[in-house]
Amino acid sequence: MSDERDTAGSGTDPDADPAPRPDGGSAHAHDHGLPPASSVRRWFLTTNHKDIGILYVVTSLFFLVFGGVLALLIRMQMWEPGGAVMSGLAYNQTVSTHGLIMVFWFLSPFAFGFANYVVPLQIGADDLAFPRLNALSYWLYLASGVLLGVSFFQGATFAGGWTMYAPLNIPLYTPQVGASTAVLALLLFVVSVTVSSVNFLTTMHRMRAKGLTLRRLPLFTWSILLTVWMMLFAFAALLAALMILSADRLLGTMYFATESPGGSMLWTHLFWFFGHPEVYIVFFPALGAMAEIFQTFTGRRLVGRKWFIAAMVLVALQSFIVWMHHMFLTSINLPIKTLFMATTIGISLPFDLMVFALIYTMLKGRIRFKTPFLFAFGGLVVFILGGITGVFLGAVVLDYEMRGTYWVVAHFHYVMVGGVTALVGGLYYWFPKITGRMYDEFLGKVQFGLYFLGFNLLYFPMFVAWETPRRVFDYPPELLPWHRAATVGGFLLGISFLVMFYNLYTSLWNGEEVEGNPWEFGHTAEWAVPSPPPLENFPGRASYERGFLDFVDRMTADGGEPEEEADGYRSPLSDGTGARPDGGSSTPDGGVVTGTGGLPAEREEGGMAVSHAEEPSHASIWPFVTGVGAFLTLVGLSGVQGGSLPGGIAGGFYLGTALAGGLVTLGALFAMGYESFHAPEMAVAERWPFAGVENTKLGVWIFLASDVVLFGAFIGSYVFVRFAYGWTEWHIVPHNSLPGLINTYLLLTSSFTVILAMVAAEHGSRKGLLASLTATLLLGIGFLVNKGIEWAELLHEGIWVDSSISASTFFLTTGLHGAHVLAGLVITVYLIWRAWGGAYLGEEGPIEYFGLYWHFVDIVWLFLFPLFYIL
Amino acid sequence: MANTRLYTAIFVALFVLATAQVAVEIAGFVESTYWVAFGGIMLLSLVKALAVAGYYQHLVYEPRSVTYLLGLGLLAALALTIAASYSIT
Amino acid sequence: MFREIFVVFVVLGTVVGVVVLGYMLLNAYRYRDGADREDVRKADGDRPTLGELPEGSGGGRKLFLSFGLSTVVVVSLIVWTYGTLLYVEGGAAAQAEDPLDVEVVGFQFGWKFTYPNGEQVNGVLRVPADRPVRLTVKSEDVFHNFGIPSLRVKTDAIPGQTTETWFMAEEPGTHTAQCFELCGVGHSAMNAEVIVMEPAEYREWYGSLNETDGNASSVAAPAGGVSTP
Repeated sequence: MSDERDTAGSGTDPDADPAPRPDGGSAHAHDHGLPPASSVRRWFLTTNHKDIGILYVVTSLFFLVFGGVLALLIRMQMWEPGGAVMSGLAYNQTVSTHGLIMVFWFLSPFAFGFANYVVPLQIGADDLAFPRLNALSYWLYLASGVLLGVSFFQGATFAGGWTMYAPLNIPLYTPQVGASTAVLALLLFVVSVTVSSVNFLTTMHRMRAKGLTLRRLPLFTWSILLTVWMMLFAFAALLAALMILSADRLLGTMYFATESPGGSMLWTHLFWFFGHPEVYIVFFPALGAMAEIFQTFTGRRLVGRKWFIAAMVLVALQSFIVWMHHMFLTSINLPIKTLFMATTIGISLPFDLMVFALIYTMLKGRIRFKTPFLFAFGGLVVFILGGITGVFLGAVVLDYEMRGTYWVVAHFHYVMVGGVTALVGGLYYWFPKITGRMYDEFLGKVQFGLYFLGFNLLYFPMFVAWETPRRVFDYPPELLPWHRAATVGGFLLGISFLVMFYNLYTSLWNGEEVEGNPWEFGHTAEWAVPSPPPLENFPGRASYERGFLDFVDRMTADGGEPEEEADGYRSPLSDGTGARPDGGSSTPDGGVVTGTGGLPAEREEGGMAVSHAEEPSHASIWPFVTGVGAFLTLVGLSGVQGGSLPGGIAGGFYLGTALAGGLVTLGALFAMGYESFHAPEMAVAERWPFAGVENTKLGVWIFLASDVVLFGAFIGSYVFVRFAYGWTEWHIVPHNSLPGLINTYLLLTSSFTVILAMVAAEHGSRKGLLASLTATLLLGIGFLVNKGIEWAELLHEGIWVDSSISASTFFLTTGLHGAHVLAGLVITVYLIWRAWGGAYLGEEGPIEYFGLYWHFVDIVWLFLFPLFYIL
Repeated sequence: MANTRLYTAIFVALFVLATAQVAVEIAGFVESTYWVAFGGIMLLSLVKALAVAGYYQHLVYEPRSVTYLLGLGLLAALALTIAASYSIT
Repeated sequence: MFREIFVVFVVLGTVVGVVVLGYMLLNAYRYRDGADREDVRKADGDRPTLGELPEGSGGGRKLFLSFGLSTVVVVSLIVWTYGTLLYVEGGAAAQAEDPLDVEVVGFQFGWKFTYPNGEQVNGVLRVPADRPVRLTVKSEDVFHNFGIPSLRVKTDAIPGQTTETWFMAEEPGTHTAQCFELCGVGHSAMNAEVIVMEPAEYREWYGSLNETDGNASSVAAPAGGVSTP
């Protein structure tokens, strides 16, 4: 068993010496082309979900420290009324980046570290559907975080709150370059998240073990499934908001300018439409972790499981119809306020059910108060308190007083950091699985004590001192003891994390080694494989067909050994006994198991010989390089203001960096498209409701669904701004619709030629394929040239993005569409190049997928044309 | 899938409908009865979009779940636009 | 009015919190591993085992009861406060007395008040006691929020939009208005003084307002810090 641990990556420390392998080289057959985990190179090349999970967890913990230090600075400033430590600008940067970092760069990536590691194991998959995209998500996340760090050094970073309200967010009021960089950093983060959502959705719908229907999914996987569904749609709205903001900051558009009558409200609608689902996106994985930990440490299956799942689904759906409760004090009308008051109360009800389900699961249990359970239990306690205080805010008349006060701050920290608490429990829970070693239980309990005390000392006084306005460091002297208590609590909470880092780090080296399942009553599939699992996860095809977890001989979609049932073989996992008195198959917590707690070695080797002889390489450097390119491009773009770069060296630096970044990114993407990377579909899997749509095609459709929301938000923004202005008083920018009509003809024809290309590929006609792809390219170029001429004429008349709000919406919306056309043409060039070399004949898949994108771009234009040219 | 005649027919129809939208404008309906013209033109766009989505993107032949997926996105964008616009009336 | 609703919520919230958390802690203790209980021994025959197909442990009656009860409590609370919401939204004009209309404009970093006679005062709001005051609130630059906590008034100040709120102070006294939406480097000090006067004194002051310079204020606004309410 020790062989596996070395090659599969036993832990987070790349410098650990691998233990010697008795047979020297045979492990290479199943290392997927990756260098050993002890080497640094491994971490740049890997696409394996477990490695990437570790990368996410470690990186997010770094951001926890960063955001935590910012929080302590806030508390130090609040030690004295009037502020003891820093200036107004410094304080505003601190509160803004504290919020941004904690919400975006810590919480979700932390949760997704576990999602990456655990979900494929829980569903019986080898990896995610698109391993390189998974690596790409991580590198884009890291790049975005580094970019945020850079922003601190460019004048000042963003100082308008994590909510980035308009028009404080435009250069007129936050002129520093660093503020633009921070916005771009967040934009890059959203791209990373979108890539991740596409990956996880495709994986969870199409790569589940046979017999594992959605109803039967483990609860942590369920919570992640709903999280990524919410992410797909919510983040697209944020992306629209950030793109518009970036355009206002970098190009000089006027969406959020003070003169734009609907500008402020536009931002609040876009941001909160994203912002409310976001808080559930951040909390759901914690809920899933709580459910798993409660079941394992009470030894009881969840009470009311199907209602719990229904409640989660309801919350996910409802999360999109409550956003205006963040806007009760704006100029929205009473009927809509009432509607959103009702929907807000509506969303609290499923949560009540879930809380009760967790509590009732304890009954008749055998509760062991190990560290994971302490944190999950503690997390539930504080979540309940936070939830109760949220009901206050849902009562509009109370919100009228509590808006913008520390009541809100205390409420959301109780629920959000309650989520963190449960995820810390998850960290302890899965630590033995990931590292193969047990953490120190005593230190874990020490951390919990400090943590829980610090947490409540920090946040509870905020309820008492609730009348202090948010982001204000001045308050009446009688509130002094409460704010000081909070500061002390904050430091205690911080110290508890130091205990945790110490514990986990030393346990990496000195912790007791564990086998597959160190937790009594651990029952989901990740506990059925060694700790840590081998690269390929399972010794065969995981299956629940027989009503329990079982492994059968693998057969990949492109051929291989036919399925054979092992004669009379029954996995010891299938002994449904586990009754305690006879000491059956359950294992004591944290203990080393000598019996049947894992897989017998001989079976595993047998499986190996069949399936891993030709295991293709899953190493790729291109995701990393793309991340570097993206970082450089955005650093370069951050220097743009009002549509131009500053002069001299600074301007040269920004331009050079942007160009270099662009080239690197493009090159890396081409290389990624060209390199051979084989991640075959599972031959047998549960696929509802997307059976019959193969993985890549489904991935493209899911991406397009988010692009629908992106364009929908852009068009919606146009509608809203025009509505606020006065619909019929609006001045349409193009003088006549002829250029638009020509572009419509060009695009329609290009859709037709793309379809012809697909038909040609199907028929194996190289000439036909090349001709139709070239025609598409030319038509697309014609579209852009026509648009260029149109825009040049407008510019000549003095109409540009900053002329008016009407011009802003015209140029940016059609510009975004034009950028989509350009991206499509870049892909067309790539396809032509490959087709020239003989690709795609008889394998029209990529042409078809490109066509899906291209037709989508055409459809968007079908709506843009009348809205911007005619009506 | 390789139904070239169907694709060509749809292409011609799309061309005609696009021209029809501009014809509505040239005929002066946009100036005289704005909201009726608005409805008509947007309806034409919708028909074109459905044709492209249904046949060029093959949604008619794919599992219905894919159509629902895109419908969800559209619904989200519409809900945001309509609710936001209504809220400032 | 706010006080009453707030107290009811706090009391109810505390009761619910104590009951639920107490129940949680009690059962965490009761069902700790090692406690020798009949119902636990019975349940031992059916504990989760490694590799089982995930399922629930059934049971739901208690769950539905608790869920139903919490729904009733939460919905009743909100319905009860809805009445008050309608009263607040009914506006100052619904009051018996004629409201005093004051326009409030937020800017970086202070508040300007314009009275019905067109005079504008920077940094101090004077109102008579026992008369509804209707505030029409705007912003001339970024998104602010105008709130007087001790008088239970608050509304957003949004550029390009107008919001309205109203209040009626019963006693003379001094209060502080603050900004409740982050608006820039001076956000923490964006305060204004609110002075509630005896009606007679107010009328006198208001009369004299016409004679003095339009933008002068008779009491300088505090530059920072907090004035005693």
